[in-house]
Amino acid sequence: MKKLIYLKLVILSLIFQGCSGDSDTIEIIEKTDQSNVSENNSKSTNEFDRSSMLTFWADSIILPSMIGFENELNVFNEYVENFTANPNANNLTLLRDQWLTTYKNWQYVEMFDLGIAEEIYFKNRMNIFPANVQRIESNISNQEFNLDESANFAAQGFTALDYLLFGVEQEDDVILTKYSDTSSNYGDYLIQVTAKMQELTVLVKAQWEGDYRDSFVQSTENTATSSINMMLNDFVYYYEKGYRANKFGIPAGVFSGGPLPNTIEAYHGEIYSKILSLEATNAIENFFNGVAYNDPETLGPSIKDYLDFVESDTAEKLSERINEKLQGGRIKINELNTSFIKQIEENNTLMLLTYDAIQSAVILFKVDMLQKLNVSVDYADADGD
Amino acid sequence: MLRSYLNNSKIHPAPLAVFRILFGSMMLIALIRFWVNGWIHTLYIEPEFHFKYYGFSWVTDFGNYTYLLYLICIIAALGIILGYRYRLSIFLFFLLFTYTELIDKTTYLNHYYFTSCIAFLLCFLPAAHYFSLDALKKKKTIEAIPSWMIDGIKLFLCIVYFYAGIAKINSDWLIEAQPLSIWLTSKYDIPLIGELLEYKWIHYTASWSGMLYDVFIPFFLLYPKTRKIAFLFVFLFHIMTKIFFPSIGMFPFIMIFGATIFFDVKWHKNILGHLHDLGVKLTQKFDFLKSKLTSKKTIVLFEPKKHVLPIFITFFFIQLLLPFRYFAYPGELFWNEQGYRFSWRVMLIEKKGYTTFKIKDSVSQRTFYVDNTDFLTPFQERQMSFQPDFILEYAHYLADHFENQGHQNIQVFTDSFVALNGRPSQQFIDPNTDLSKEIESFKHKKWVLPLEDEIYGL
Repeated sequence: MKKLIYLKLVILSLIFQGCSGDSDTIEIIEKTDQSNVSENNSKSTNEFDRSSMLTFWADSIILPSMIGFENELNVFNEYVENFTANPNANNLTLLRDQWLTTYKNWQYVEMFDLGIAEEIYFKNRMNIFPANVQRIESNISNQEFNLDESANFAAQGFTALDYLLFGVEQEDDVILTKYSDTSSNYGDYLIQVTAKMQELTVLVKAQWEGDYRDSFVQSTENTATSSINMMLNDFVYYYEKGYRANKFGIPAGVFSGGPLPNTIEAYHGEIYSKILSLEATNAIENFFNGVAYNDPETLGPSIKDYLDFVESDTAEKLSERINEKLQGGRIKINELNTSFIKQIEENNTLMLLTYDAIQSAVILFKVDMLQKLNVSVDYADADGD
Repeated sequence: MLRSYLNNSKIHPAPLAVFRILFGSMMLIALIRFWVNGWIHTLYIEPEFHFKYYGFSWVTDFGNYTYLLYLICIIAALGIILGYRYRLSIFLFFLLFTYTELIDKTTYLNHYYFTSCIAFLLCFLPAAHYFSLDALKKKKTIEAIPSWMIDGIKLFLCIVYFYAGIAKINSDWLIEAQPLSIWLTSKYDIPLIGELLEYKWIHYTASWSGMLYDVFIPFFLLYPKTRKIAFLFVFLFHIMTKIFFPSIGMFPFIMIFGATIFFDVKWHKNILGHLHDLGVKLTQKFDFLKSKLTSKKTIVLFEPKKHVLPIFITFFFIQLLLPFRYFAYPGELFWNEQGYRFSWRVMLIEKKGYTTFKIKDSVSQRTFYVDNTDFLTPFQERQMSFQPDFILEYAHYLADHFENQGHQNIQVFTDSFVALNGRPSQQFIDPNTDLSKEIESFKHKKWVLPLEDEIYGL
């Protein structure tokens, strides 16, 4: 069994070298028996194949999630065209449904803030919340705006769409009137925001189909700028900031002394923040455990495996404790009201407890995991002794 | 016997001159390297808040003038190498180098402390009475100094090694091979040997040999018959540490060159002879300089100043006792770090922490968490998160900051978790202690929760 796995790893890496970028034809190792893997690790102390972990991340998680997201975004764009051409109730519902689907897909993409994504502030331009409503309205009425300006980051992306589809007016029929009135330019702004999201997504996806992917996979060393360290830092940062703070901590008032319900994700849609945060929970668990994006049954080399390898002689595995904490967070989220606004207004304690449950994994990630893997959390450069 | 040794035993000053030149050169390179790496800015100028040593809160950075401090330090290092206005040079160097170290304890390193100690001793030694520009200028030289002056430096090097060695006699280092297990495993990317570094037996070999090296190397360096082989070990050991841990900077080279002080006088005279020939060659075209170099010098008797010996004795008395001050504190030294610094405890612990601060208005009961990145550099945040004195100082800083912002009745609580040498993380600071009410002192910090494990040994 052990040999078979290695054989598969070799074949796998050959396949990847042969057809990098073509995600559909990629085969993935199936870890049918988890215990087998850990047994295998404890026997051989220096056999963790970091390159195959990076390959799995790039080819089976990151790129497929980008492609999946891009596809949904393209469908959304079609619906936008439909809707702006015929702003009726039916088209609005279709558009909103597709917005949610696309937004859910986005939750799998946000944590990969690497390379070009970081350079172009991808995550900030796709999903910074709360939206800057004043800015959006002034952009729409002035007709003179440049979405590439940082001042407009909070006036585009999913949060701008959230406002445009749910928030411009209270009642749906009034919203429809706004879009029917072509002189009001709401439709035009919707089109432009969507086009910008497509443009940015294409840029980021393209890097994972090109040379960047190859150098990412090859960079197995342990330096501040190597792939493993950058990815782990990004993952932990996403968990702490994008997930814990943005989705729960800030709205619950952890950092401000009082709750701020208007800072939830998808504020204007109101009932979607729970769905979106559960989706983000999936994305986090899947990445940690090495679940392929296109097939939940398929597991590949992961952070969990890496930790188990380093802890081959430890009985109580850190990876198990992390998974327990992630589960604990999920259970708490499930207890929340579908509308986070209602939850915060009616019983913020539950929101704070959810935050605490999520927070407990931050410690395991930032302290225990980064110590075990000896990854530095910052790029501070100084001597040590 | 001791009295006759202190009064009558004499040695040629060549080893001291060589030591002066090597030390000055190392410092020159180290200072320039520090500057070129941009650390003057990132470590001293950039942070808006500095962590201070107890009693030294008056030390401040001078903004961009900090560069001037380093410039003077560099010139002083040149003065040390050349033996030009040596007393002034070494005194300035000691003062300014130590001052920059006192600006922020985040940057504390044993080898900076080592440097300050050596510079301090050199302030009182006749290191430029022989083979120096000062000697040339005065046309005077000396041929003998008290043995204890050179033996003092040897003793200091021995203390550093020996104390570093006995500090490794503990269960984490010898039985768990920690923290080397963590550190070496992560060096899998070193060419050729990287793969080996993931083996457990390598971690144990490295731990045990590191301990044995530190404990015994002083004796093998002192004993003439084993000196050569011991120096080879010094060389190999420090080169290895440089390969495994590139971030230890200049330290390996300082120790390798420093260990030459153990060699006998003949070796040092030989080195200086070569240096002299080189000097003559270089000044060939300038008769004026050459004649100065080759001119006859009067040999004078060296009389040590009366105050030097008592200063040395006091210095070594402190050196021998200071590392044991941790006995005065309850709890685990590696965990609460009370008495950890200034004790030659090198590479003993791998600590990672996560410490956030909760500001509470004790009247309205409203609380909020502080974003550490608003106040600290990433390097400061990392160091702060697992060292109690840093946490306390920062808590006070935060209390002042938010009080100045108009908040009243402020209390500061922490959520602090630390992992030590691969153990699972555990709560570090009592979350119910209002740190704004706690005062920094040398007393035991009761609000540090005890380590839920035992480390045996020294």
